[in-house]
Parts: sequence; C-alpha cells; structure tokens
Amino acid sequence: MRIEEIRIDPRTKLIIVLCLSTLGIVFKDIISLVKILLTTIFISICFHVDLMGSIKKLKSLLYILIVITLAQSIFSSDGNPLVTIGKVTFLTTEGLYKGLEFIFRMMIIIFSATILTTSSSREIVQGFVQWGLPYEMAFMVAIGIRFLPILTEEIKDSLIAIQLRGIELDKIPIKKRIHVYSYLFTPIVLGTISKAERLSIAIEMRGFRAYDSRTSYMVLKMSILDYIIIFMSIVTTIIFYIVY
Amino acid sequence: MNLLEYIEFRNTSFEYIKDKKVINSISTKVYKDDITAIVGPNGSGKTTLGKLMTGILKPTFGKVYMFNKDIKYMTLGQVGKQVGYLFQNPEKQFFSCTVEEEIGFVLKIKGFDREYIDKKVEYLLELFQLDHLKEAFPLKLSQGEKQRLAIAAILANEPEYLILDEPTKGLDMDRKTTLVNILEKLNEKGIGITLISHDYNLVNQISNRVIEIYRGEIVEDRRNKD
Repeated sequence: MRIEEIRIDPRTKLIIVLCLSTLGIVFKDIISLVKILLTTIFISICFHVDLMGSIKKLKSLLYILIVITLAQSIFSSDGNPLVTIGKVTFLTTEGLYKGLEFIFRMMIIIFSATILTTSSSREIVQGFVQWGLPYEMAFMVAIGIRFLPILTEEIKDSLIAIQLRGIELDKIPIKKRIHVYSYLFTPIVLGTISKAERLSIAIEMRGFRAYDSRTSYMVLKMSILDYIIIFMSIVTTIIFYIVY
Repeated sequence: MNLLEYIEFRNTSFEYIKDKKVINSISTKVYKDDITAIVGPNGSGKTTLGKLMTGILKPTFGKVYMFNKDIKYMTLGQVGKQVGYLFQNPEKQFFSCTVEEEIGFVLKIKGFDREYIDKKVEYLLELFQLDHLKEAFPLKLSQGEKQRLAIAAILANEPEYLILDEPTKGLDMDRKTTLVNILEKLNEKGIGITLISHDYNLVNQISNRVIEIYRGEIVEDRRNKD
C-alpha cells in the first residue's frame, strides 16, 4: 500500500522535508549526500510523487544548477588540476567535488520539497495554522501559493502578446532584447497589483476578517502513524548526524 | 470567384488534457479576402481555434498552415509580423504607461522614425476616439476603451490579417458601429479578418462566412454575403 493512500498529515510531511533538507545542508561529504539523496528519492516514491513530472517542471532551474555547478568547479583552485589550458587551470578535483556536492544538496532540497506537493496548499496552510501560526500570516502564504501559477501564466501571456506584435525576440540584438523585456514589467507588475486590489475589495465585501478565534471547516488530525513517522524522522536525523 | 487561402486546418485536433479533445479533427480553409466569423457556445473551442491559427497553441494532432507554411515551424514573432491578434482579455497586451505610447511602442522598437510614429499614433487615436485619453494609463481605462486601444495598437503594426477574439466585448452601440465601419474598410483594403464572437448582430452584419463550432467540431459552415 502506498503511503499516500493512508493519508499522512501535511505537518508530518513538513517535518520529513525539514529533516531531509537539514541533513542535506549539514553534511559536506559526497557519500553521505548520495545516501541522503537516495533516501529522499525512496521516500518521495513512497509518497507517490511524480518525480519525472517535477524534473520536467524544474528543467529551466536545472540549467541554472548546472551553470552554478560548473562555475563552482572552475573557480575552486584547490586540489589536483583536471583540465588545464596553457597556464590556466579550469577544473580541479576539489572543484569537481564542490560542484557535485552542490548539485546533490540542491537535489535533496528539491526532491524533498516535492513530498509537500502530495498535499494541497489548503492542507499545508491549515497545518501551519494548527501549529499556531497567526492566521494573517497563514492567509498571506495561502494567497501567495494561489497566485504563483497565475503570475507564471501572466508572464507567459505577456511574452506571447509582445511577440505577436511582430517582435522576433530571438533575432534582435541582446541590448534591444533587454529593452523589450523591460516592457514586460508593466503588465506583470501592474496586473499583479490590480489583481491584489480587486481581491482585497472582494474579501472585504464578503466581510472577511482575520480573527484569532477563527474556526475552520477543515481540521487536521494526526494519527498514531503520523506520530510514529515524526518520531522516527527526528530520531533518524539526530542519529545520522551524530554517527557521521 | 477565386479566394486566397490564408490559414488551413488539416485534421487539426487539440487537447489541453490528454485524451480530452477541445478541437476534434477540424479540416477547413480560411480565406484572406473574407471576414470569417467563428461562433459557438461557451467552451466550444472558439478561442482555442483562434490560438491555433496564430501558433500560440500547437496542434496535438494534424497541422495548421499559414500561407502553405506549417505554423509549427514559425515563431510567434514571424506570425505577429503578418497577423494581428486581439486577446479576449485586452489587458494582457498592454505594455506601456500611456495610451499614446502603447500604440507606438512596437514601431519604436522596430526603429521607425519619430515623425512617422507620431503621425500613425495620431491617426489611430482619432480613428478609435481615444485622443482625449492619450496620456491615460491603459489599465485604468474602461473595458470598451481598453478594447479600442488594443485594436488600435494591433493596427499600428499594419498586419495583413486580423484575428479578433470578442472584439465588441464592452463596446456600446455607437462604438460597435464605428468598429464595424473600421473593420469593413480594413477588409476592403485587403486585410483578412477572423472574428471570434458571441455577438450575432456583428457576425451577421459584417461577416461573409460563418463557421459554427460545437464541442470542438464544425457543425455549420455557411456564406452570409459576398
């Protein structure tokens, strides 16, 4: 049976993610990072996370990761040289090590965060509220999560609209291209502000107030399994940290 | 009468979600000389069809050709040089801080001289009765004014074909009449037009051809007048 089918509380998932990403940041040797990464992937699979889908979504971020990794490798001068052109060393063993370390660390953080995608944003926010986070802040988080895809869509639409005005972005010189991109800020930023304005009017009209005594239709309840998973996650993290 | 083929759908299907066809194997030709109207109920696939015509969306199956060229291999910039597209929500296509700048900014990027741009902007401001609003911020205009501004900005580019998604949304009767006159004049000048609309008055008034779609399929394709 998949863990997802048993319904794990989003707070349990948050603790798992916190443990995994903490381990990913604390450890510096590649072997340990690989072990943590494999554990992360295993847990993600147990939660039935669509890893391939997540990788596809993060494709553009992966390019940035690769560039940063290469930059880290190139600018680390310690260790034995691996690639040298003339008198300039471009890659050393230490540089390669640091680059790999960085990429494994980022993969642990990204893959562990995908575990949270198995809960809806509403459940996660409710988890925070039941943990004692003031409702105003939780509401801001919820609105932020809700608006992210809209903002992405808006950027895409603006890019389409500007090209449909007959501007071939890939054919104009870089300086001019940057100038064209600057035009995109107007619809995106102002569109977002105007949406926020409309939303605030709409919620005021519906009498919304972030009272402390607020009740919620959705109430999360932790099961014994949640407590066991939380306990095991924290204990394993501490043991892993002490032993290694 | 020999009509000039402009856009051709060949067994074109489109899915936003796998196995749920929004456009189902459509095959038809849209002619440059016509004012073609695409009508149909909400969710029938009108806007999707318009987006397929401009290459904003790529067909899941089949092909879309623009002047016998597979649109899949054309960039949006290349399409935009020939086709002007009015979004259902005109706010999406505003990039500048004033009405005047909005109409002229593409010409500025394309390197036209100041005098030409000013002349063109003045003409379009007057044509669309926006001259009193030339310093106004586009997003603060009324729906009808936004609609007129978006069309004016498209026309500044001198496209050879127009695809207008709900062009009369938010326009009062007088402005609708003005728009009809402008569109008819543009068509007389040889600019082909596709209207995606619910406004049957507009459709019957100016279109030569009406394509009715329902659940992603063409259910009627008739000629109104010639």
